Amino acid sequence: MSSISVLIIILFALMTIVGGKQGMVSFFSVALNFFILFITVILISGGFPILGVSLFAGICILAITIYMGNNDERSTNVAFIATVIVMLIMIILIIPFDHMVQIQGFSNEESEEVEAFNLLIGINFESLAIATTILSTLGAIAEASIAVASGLEELIAQNSDITVTQLYKSGRNIGFQIMGMTFNTLFFGMFGGNLALFILLYKLHASFGYYLNSKIFVGESMSVLYSAIAVILVIWITTYLMGRKLNSLQETTADLNKQDKRDL
Amino acid sequence: MKKRQFKRISIEIFVIIFSGLAIFFCSTHNESLYKQTIGNVVSVKNGKRESVTDEYNNKDYQTTQTVNLQIMNGKDKGKYVELKNTYSQSGALDQKLNKNQKIFIELHHTNGKLTAVFMYSKRDTYLLMLCWLVIVLLYIMMQIKGIRTILSVTINFILFLIFVQLDVNLNITYFFWLFALSALLFTALSLIIVIGWNRQCAITFVAIVFGTTLGLVIGWSILELTNSQGVHYEALDMATQAPKQLFFAATLIGLLGAVMDAATDIVSTLFEMKENTPNISQKQLFLSGRQVGRAIMGPLINVLFLIFFAETFAMAVLYFRTNNTYSFTFAWTMSLGVVQSLISGIGIVLVIPTASYLCSRLLGGK
Repeated sequence: MSSISVLIIILFALMTIVGGKQGMVSFFSVALNFFILFITVILISGGFPILGVSLFAGICILAITIYMGNNDERSTNVAFIATVIVMLIMIILIIPFDHMVQIQGFSNEESEEVEAFNLLIGINFESLAIATTILSTLGAIAEASIAVASGLEELIAQNSDITVTQLYKSGRNIGFQIMGMTFNTLFFGMFGGNLALFILLYKLHASFGYYLNSKIFVGESMSVLYSAIAVILVIWITTYLMGRKLNSLQETTADLNKQDKRDL
Repeated sequence: MKKRQFKRISIEIFVIIFSGLAIFFCSTHNESLYKQTIGNVVSVKNGKRESVTDEYNNKDYQTTQTVNLQIMNGKDKGKYVELKNTYSQSGALDQKLNKNQKIFIELHHTNGKLTAVFMYSKRDTYLLMLCWLVIVLLYIMMQIKGIRTILSVTINFILFLIFVQLDVNLNITYFFWLFALSALLFTALSLIIVIGWNRQCAITFVAIVFGTTLGLVIGWSILELTNSQGVHYEALDMATQAPKQLFFAATLIGLLGAVMDAATDIVSTLFEMKENTPNISQKQLFLSGRQVGRAIMGPLINVLFLIFFAETFAMAVLYFRTNNTYSFTFAWTMSLGVVQSLISGIGIVLVIPTASYLCSRLLGGK
């Protein structure tokens, strides 16, 4: 049996033992995301419009990550809307920025691996870079958004008279903790993902100027920075949307109370 | 009161806009700080657009442009030089040059005539502006506290670079252990910055070390037992050292952030519970810890999976477009990312019972 299938079985077993039914559902959400990404690559290679396919895949991934394994309806709905809004904002930010920075395709450091290929394959690598960046941020924003939404939902459940101002203040506190941890996840993910690159650059005695300008280093740094921006925005927007939900909730209760009084 | 607040906000807005403009201005006028020669594109003449078709029927277009540059720094400052640049529509390894763009070039003096070769374009302005945007957003959202988050990341990044230098300079055979040591330091530092120097920090640290070690040992033994069948370490990008060790070092560091996230969440929730109900039982604590872990493990595994997998996109598309099979493409471009995600997943899941058990033993009553 191949190593990957054994690892998959072990992960599935562990998630089921530790997480019970919820763990099993989480395992399938990761598996589904894998299939969506794999199909996305195949469709892109087949010549389908890159940004369109990726946008669709992105919304599917967000829905799967948020709705599978979380049962509370109000907080998941808020988290889903917030993440989709952030994804759209990020697309608007990334498209012109990536166009100017020109970090698409492969760098000189990778040229050894691609030299056997004919690189004139008629795929727009700039759109591909944009799609990659957006898809790689989705996990982080989904996680941050669920955490903020369910944290605030808990607050509302404990104290339904909480004012919107109080909610925003708590949102900031919860958001701060979540952001610190999500930043750690993102940055260590990047250090780990690029360990070989850092060693190579140091061995080549790359100058400080090279770090600031080379395609590969700027490209990798920018994708982490985009993720950081997306996480900040998603915490902001989730808190705001929860506040609006609370407002309308309190208004309906107030209306009902009024109606009750009139009826009396 | 209102007036003072108004004054403060207007000062803040002024500082934010001013700092942005200052960074933009400095980074677009910093040529003299670079040792490498920089040229400014004065004019571009595009040649004929030629269509190219390869043996797999992929159609692409190539254009050769003649670019006139003014040299911005060094001893040839002010002189003009011409270079040829060929770019394709897909742009995998090349790029189109536009008027007023600044690029790094290499100058050659041949027979008294100056010629130039295009190296790479100047990107520092964009990188710095994006850093500025992150800091401004953090400040707007949570004032000075937000900037502190950056501090932890920056310190860890510097430490990471020091360990990379150590690795290259010491050149030891089993360099995995060097990065394992760095992982211990990263964990300790981040936890002290986030939680502070106390008992909670110590428990979280021990839980992370146990969970991560267990995850890596399981991952490693399975790969050994199955002879790493279907896993091509040699496909690791840019590897200049033993690829298998490098892969494990990268996996260890990559999964650290997510494991820290899970462990901190569990331990801090259980400490809070202990504070609210001092006579809570061990079993109750363990079960609550597991409950917290259940909710976060799926999203956390997804975060790492998306980061590791999305990076392989460009290479995978290249393989597919040149008529490689699904299984071949998967094995050579994606399998390492998938193995990395799987081992990380095992680590994330294992830290949940470890953290819950440690907390329940140390905090719970009889």
